[in-house]
Amino acid sequence: MDILGYFASLNPLNLLASLPGNVAQGVIWGIMALGVFITYRLLEFADLTVDGSFATGGAVTVVLILAGVPAPVALVAAVFAGLLAGLVTGLLHTALGIPGILAGILTQISLWSVNLMILDGANKAVNVDKYSLIVSLRNVGSSIIMALAFAAVLIMLLYWYFGTEQGSAIRATGCNPHMSKAQGINIDAMKVLALCLSNGLVALSGGLMAQYQGFADIKMGQGSIVIGLAAVIIGEVLGDALFSKKMNFAIRLVFVVMGGVIYYLVIGLVMWLKMPTDMLKLLTAVIVAIFLAVPYLRAKAKNSFSLAGKRGVQKNA
Amino acid sequence: MKKKAIALVLAAMMTLSLAACGTKTAETSASPEASAAANKTYTVGICQLVQHVALDAATQGFKDALTAKLGDKVTFDEQNANGDIPTCATIANQFVSSKVDLIMANATPALQAAQTATNTIPVLGTSVTDYGSALGITDWTGTTGTNVSGTSDLAPLDQQAAMLKELFPDAKNVGILYCSAEPNSKYQSKVITKLLTDMGYTCKDYTFSDSNDLATVVTTAAAESDVIYLPTDNTVASNTEIIKNVCVPAGIPIVAGEEGICAGCGVATLSISYYDLGYATGEMAYEILVNGADPATMPIQFAPKYTKEYNADIAKTLNITIPSDYVAIAAK
Repeated sequence: MDILGYFASLNPLNLLASLPGNVAQGVIWGIMALGVFITYRLLEFADLTVDGSFATGGAVTVVLILAGVPAPVALVAAVFAGLLAGLVTGLLHTALGIPGILAGILTQISLWSVNLMILDGANKAVNVDKYSLIVSLRNVGSSIIMALAFAAVLIMLLYWYFGTEQGSAIRATGCNPHMSKAQGINIDAMKVLALCLSNGLVALSGGLMAQYQGFADIKMGQGSIVIGLAAVIIGEVLGDALFSKKMNFAIRLVFVVMGGVIYYLVIGLVMWLKMPTDMLKLLTAVIVAIFLAVPYLRAKAKNSFSLAGKRGVQKNA
Repeated sequence: MKKKAIALVLAAMMTLSLAACGTKTAETSASPEASAAANKTYTVGICQLVQHVALDAATQGFKDALTAKLGDKVTFDEQNANGDIPTCATIANQFVSSKVDLIMANATPALQAAQTATNTIPVLGTSVTDYGSALGITDWTGTTGTNVSGTSDLAPLDQQAAMLKELFPDAKNVGILYCSAEPNSKYQSKVITKLLTDMGYTCKDYTFSDSNDLATVVTTAAAESDVIYLPTDNTVASNTEIIKNVCVPAGIPIVAGEEGICAGCGVATLSISYYDLGYATGEMAYEILVNGADPATMPIQFAPKYTKEYNADIAKTLNITIPSDYVAIAAK
């Protein structure tokens, strides 16, 4: 009876109605995931700066909007702030020889203080009733369109850039640094460049998120690297499943953004299920883990060795 | 590839058919609303920032107040962002899209997300200290003029300063310790610094970023201060043990902004009860839902009563005589 009551209390219409908002938020995080994709996948560099630079992007955007700067200009400034954060991590790593993870952590914790200074406190509201914002939770429909437009332009730019000589050099640096160096690529410069680019994108996403939720908070970037990585991997798994060998670089970028959307759809689903709220993180992790494990297990079952093994057993029996 | 396309289409059809079922249930549940307003049922969304003793108490108080008045005519959709700020926006979106009758937002980021999400559904905040800065309203008058109202957990800082003076008239340096991530704490520090400076004390802020650097900051604060004041800071509330282990051996007494912190590491406090605060918020919700009160003109309410309380264990250890009008905090 209780179980029936539970299912009756779940209204599928509510799940559908909440979809657009979750999609909008997912696309904004997908832009952040594009940044993570550059360092984590192209450069093979686990960059933890992003937890700080995401909040930096939000803080710069909100403070400038409050000062009367138009939102698009504020976003450009946020991107530059992100570039600077990436530059610091890059120089700590290349010029001072600090291991990558630690360089990211150092920048991340120093950004905490920097962000407090920018915000002049821990939290600043940017009221959608008073300022014209690019995206806002108040206007989910137009937010989706704007966020998608941002994502589309960024994907095109990234696709073009990573096809140029410089972009290819960054990818080569990630694939095989020794070989790239032997080919005359300045791999230190490439690493710094990629980190700047990545954190610029992350800060842009932070600036959009701050507008979307209506405030910037010193803690808004906490754990964003986890969401970014999850989005990158979910996107890849999904892309591989749908396109397998036809997956090219452009499709890969599109699916990174899709990964962010799927992550937020999962969170929306978990909330809709009205599970005990303390379970939110556990359930999200379980659903994402299932997502990642299924293609692996399927591939393993189809693996030629295991198939050959099964055939061998049948023959011998 | 073909198989996948078919699977996708099937999945979409299933979702749609589920949605169709949903439409029916929505219609049937809508009919009694039309027949009699007295039988109207209400759905209230509760968005809480993080699992935390004070916030939990406020949510409980809110639910108890509404349940006492409306019984089973009210259902709660209770969500917790588990400390992730962006999840507050996800929850607010969920509430607005499922058209709840009222949103209760517990803590500042939850209130900000809810206020951004809707300008029609009434939003009540609680455990928020300063509504003016939380909502970005510069000419703050006590009401929001929009769909938002609620209760403030602002402790009566003037009375707290007076209490500090009453207990420690000979102290000179007051250290104010709080987490740099909490806007409410900074606000309280600013206000009480002014009050204490006027009384002749010298105040200094000691801020930490999280529990990892707390011990170092407390040690410095204890070395440089005669008394420490702790505002109603969520991170402090979660780490009172660390503060106690530094300050009690150093012989530095603490005046705390709320009961929970005082029970953990303080000597005395002028306490507000978050349960009462939540209960008052629940009563405001009833006024809005049933009697049609307009949140735009409802003034932000403060805690209904304050109690002078002291921590008997720590007062005894530090050899501090507490006046007789203080109530000992029940041992936990």
